[in-house]
Amino acid sequence: MAETPNRDDETHTTETLDRREFVSRASGMAMVAGLVGGYGAFGAVAGRYLYPARPDDGTWQFVADLNQLRVGDSLRYRAPAGETVNITRTASTGVADDFIALSSACPHLGCQVHWQGPQDRYFCPCHNGTFDAAGVGTGGPPGDAAQSLPRYPLRVDGNLLFILVPTMRLADAGPEEQPAGEVLDPADCSSAAGHDPCLSPLAHKDRGSDLA
Amino acid sequence: MSAIARWIQDRIPISPHVIREMSNEPVPYHMKHWWFALGGTPAYLFVVQIITGILLSFYYTASTGSAYDSVQYITNEAAFGWYIRSVHKWAATLMIAAVVLHQMRVYFTGAYRKPREMSWMVGMALLLTTLGLGFTGYSLVFEQLSFWGATVGANMTDSVPVVGGLLKNLMLAGETYNPRTLSRFFILHAAVLPVTMVGLIILHIVIIRLQGVTEFWFKGEEPHQLGKGKFDFFPDHFYTELTLGLVLMILLSTLATIFPASMGPQANPLVTPEVIKPEWFFYVVFRWLKLFPGTFAILSTGFVVFTMFTWPFIDRQIRRRTRFQEASVWIGIFGVFAIIALTLWEAFVAH
Amino acid sequence: MTLETKRWVIGGLGALFLISLVMVQWVETARRAEEAGLRPASVSAPASSVACVECHAQANPGIVDHWTGSTHAEKGVGCVECHTATELEPDAFQHYGESIATIVTPRDCARCHVDEAAEFAASHHSKAGNILASLDNYLAETVEGAREDFNPHSPTPGRAFGEVNGNASAQSGCKQCHGGKVALQSTDGSLITVDDLAPDENGIPTNQAIVAMVVKDDNGQPLYDSGTWPNTGIGRLNLDGSAGSCTACHSRHDFSPRRARQPENCGKCHLGPDHPQKEIFEESKHGIAYRDLKDKMNLDATDWVLGVDYSAAPTCATCHMSGNMRNGGKVTHDPGERISWTNRPPVSVAMDTDINHAIVKTDDPEERAALTTDSWNDKRNRMKDVCSHCHSPNYVNSFYDQYDAFVQLYNEKFGKPGLAIVGALVEHGARTPTQFDEEIEWTWFYLWHHEGRRARHGASMMAPDYAHWHGMYEVAERFYMELIPQAREMADHRGGSAGAAIHKVINDILARPEHVWFEEGAAEASARIREEMERRYGQGGVRQDGDNF
Repeated sequence: MAETPNRDDETHTTETLDRREFVSRASGMAMVAGLVGGYGAFGAVAGRYLYPARPDDGTWQFVADLNQLRVGDSLRYRAPAGETVNITRTASTGVADDFIALSSACPHLGCQVHWQGPQDRYFCPCHNGTFDAAGVGTGGPPGDAAQSLPRYPLRVDGNLLFILVPTMRLADAGPEEQPAGEVLDPADCSSAAGHDPCLSPLAHKDRGSDLA
Repeated sequence: MSAIARWIQDRIPISPHVIREMSNEPVPYHMKHWWFALGGTPAYLFVVQIITGILLSFYYTASTGSAYDSVQYITNEAAFGWYIRSVHKWAATLMIAAVVLHQMRVYFTGAYRKPREMSWMVGMALLLTTLGLGFTGYSLVFEQLSFWGATVGANMTDSVPVVGGLLKNLMLAGETYNPRTLSRFFILHAAVLPVTMVGLIILHIVIIRLQGVTEFWFKGEEPHQLGKGKFDFFPDHFYTELTLGLVLMILLSTLATIFPASMGPQANPLVTPEVIKPEWFFYVVFRWLKLFPGTFAILSTGFVVFTMFTWPFIDRQIRRRTRFQEASVWIGIFGVFAIIALTLWEAFVAH
Repeated sequence: MTLETKRWVIGGLGALFLISLVMVQWVETARRAEEAGLRPASVSAPASSVACVECHAQANPGIVDHWTGSTHAEKGVGCVECHTATELEPDAFQHYGESIATIVTPRDCARCHVDEAAEFAASHHSKAGNILASLDNYLAETVEGAREDFNPHSPTPGRAFGEVNGNASAQSGCKQCHGGKVALQSTDGSLITVDDLAPDENGIPTNQAIVAMVVKDDNGQPLYDSGTWPNTGIGRLNLDGSAGSCTACHSRHDFSPRRARQPENCGKCHLGPDHPQKEIFEESKHGIAYRDLKDKMNLDATDWVLGVDYSAAPTCATCHMSGNMRNGGKVTHDPGERISWTNRPPVSVAMDTDINHAIVKTDDPEERAALTTDSWNDKRNRMKDVCSHCHSPNYVNSFYDQYDAFVQLYNEKFGKPGLAIVGALVEHGARTPTQFDEEIEWTWFYLWHHEGRRARHGASMMAPDYAHWHGMYEVAERFYMELIPQAREMADHRGGSAGAAIHKVINDILARPEHVWFEEGAAEASARIREEMERRYGQGGVRQDGDNF
């Protein structure tokens, strides 16, 4: 680095450059380097501060007893923050990989999808989007755009199934309420035609105009 | 001239020569001494406060229900949040200290005398604005002490004769601290006072540029000895300011790391803490108010502030009409000692 | 300074600034790791206690481990802060350059916890040591043990015992809950207690002559009398004149608020045949809810305010001590502040207390009103504040109607009559002045001290089985089947006009409408029961052995 300014600088030749000028230039570069280094690092700190501290405020929430779900069964679970999740059992080995937890919000416009057993697919009633059992889009707008249903991590502890879901909500229910998810009534969400009667209130409120 | 420079030149028709002329105010030689650069310190810290303040307001929410939690989020959750908050807190402390030191330097060197009375008065306004920022800023944390500090502060304004009740209601948006109070403090702290501050700083600098700063000559540094009385602002004095800025940043980072801003218990209107104390820079006033009954204490405080504002004129009258030419120095020394004594008293006594 | 030098300086300072930010980054990383549980919270012992921690971590790792997890450790309160003692204190000694004492008293805790110590000092808890002159203690010291040491009457093979400590039952029993009088060994073989030291208001002995007589070991450490320490009784009488022990509830050395909030903590003492509060709580709906919902109790919360931090279920602390939303979250260290009846004595007494927090005893209404600074109703309203977090006012008020009715029934039917009968026996010379040397004295003690309290505590905390089967049922049996016959027998034994006077007291009581069934029979009531039984179970459904229950 020490010789760099001499060689690169075309307006001076090595013969004319005296020591004095070299030191002066070096001091200038040191100053710029110091300022950029110091304030640049501060800028980096500020940037990191503004970026969310962690990707997700998720917590492990209890969903169900393993025995409640036989292979092929699915249940609908509402996470504390409001998302509805479809959890399906695909195997009976008793580990977390037996289960698939998929968001029931269609990646297209956020309508609620539901499982259609006979066709072995998730179906979104808004624009006839379909997904296979693993949540990969197979038809309709999501299929065309190669979109999948977001998956949630699961964990089996003893005989109990837990899910990692976000717990932060926009409107807090109150300080004493510990956030907790709930398993929804498996009502007849599968047989409805057209727009899904099981759309969550959240979806209705937020996205009603899109659906109309 | 490069193409880019020309492009810009065409659109903003000011020549670099003019900019240089405008910015390169010749600086009196005494400014080579560090303690005369104290005026730049609060300005630099103010910039730090704006930057860290904006960063903090990304996460802060000004509502009684969530303010404390949001500060807690900044302190404990957000990456480097504790650092940003601590720097903001320490910069506030240093800023007030720097303003006071700068003012003392101006006072004791008599730099406020004609024709610089305006500079002094704007400076006083800057001091009060800084204190206002300190008061409102501390309230925003919404911990026990800051809540009760604000409540006590509001009750003090209540004892101002005639307009006291009006002021208190304006300050708290009601008779007592209520859910609408905090947003008031927030907007004062984050918008009204900073904008006032910027205006006052511009005014302060414009007056200084028009009048020039007072010049001092030290022994061995008189203009005839050096062959010149001034040196260039750019780059010479600019480097001084850069150095000062970096020293401050290092100091702030060190203080923030070693003494990070902590949090007391959340504000609870039902439980008054045993010991209520404001931030250190209000110790003087707080002790004074405890020494005397409400209205007198408030009025005397107001009188002192008014005297400080109009000091250049009072000083002029003293010098013209009496033989005490150096009265201001003695009064100043007395004032400084009184302030230090009251502050220490408050600091070391629980009640 | 030349421009060039200035530039170098700026460059150097910029680098320093960068380094300081690297330091910031390092702190941030450490903080993250700590938060994620990858590293234990860094607890640095305060400078004064570094040496203690280093050495005791080897010698007694448990103590240091507990302390390390405590809030004290987090806030920089180390060993010396609590154990410090001036050289004037009788149990102080030099320990590696620090003057300390083994026992930390409420006076020591009060150096920081001023309010808590004051509340505790005003509480009945702090006066638990006063039992030393009571009936219970008489039992342990005389009846169960002996007032003085005595010689063993035969050898114990393998052990060479010199004397039998007659005080052993009191030491291991009474005093471990109630607190004993801490004593130091004296060179003349006697014991030095707070009475000998006569401490001034700062806890420093005024009798320094006796301090010189304290026996010390080779290291200069004063020796406590082993009968008085270890002792963590709640009303311990300390050498500095303070009463009580904070660690009775806030176990050393982690002083965990979480533990103090749980019923098991109170259950060290509030259990058993004479006051089974813990068992009563467990039987009640409150205890059932607590057991089920314990993980929703937010027991680690900083303030643990009912209605703010939790509302799943109450514990002992919730109702008797902890803060709630209605009282501004104010914790009290005087559990008597919300208790409207004291069910401790033979006859329950309304908790009107005077300025010294003592129960107002006088009957005169005007004098009562003048003396009372905090009435039973004030106390009850404080408790109602707690109740009302989960129950509506009608429910709470009606509960208190039930509770008042129960206490009054016990008082009027058994408490006061029992007291009158055993009193009459003394008055008319049918009893010796010695306690517990006659059967009726045991009978009466069982009646009020065990069964009568079980009944009233059962009613006060909603445990029906304790109110009835472990309570009033046994009270009644004890009264009719033991107390009355024994009293009559003693009256006969005494004979003469004195015996007749005792019989008159008994007869007058039994002639009252609530007792009349006992001697005059209750044929009408029995017939009603029989009718009802037959209606329910059909003809012949009533068995003559009475086993229809």
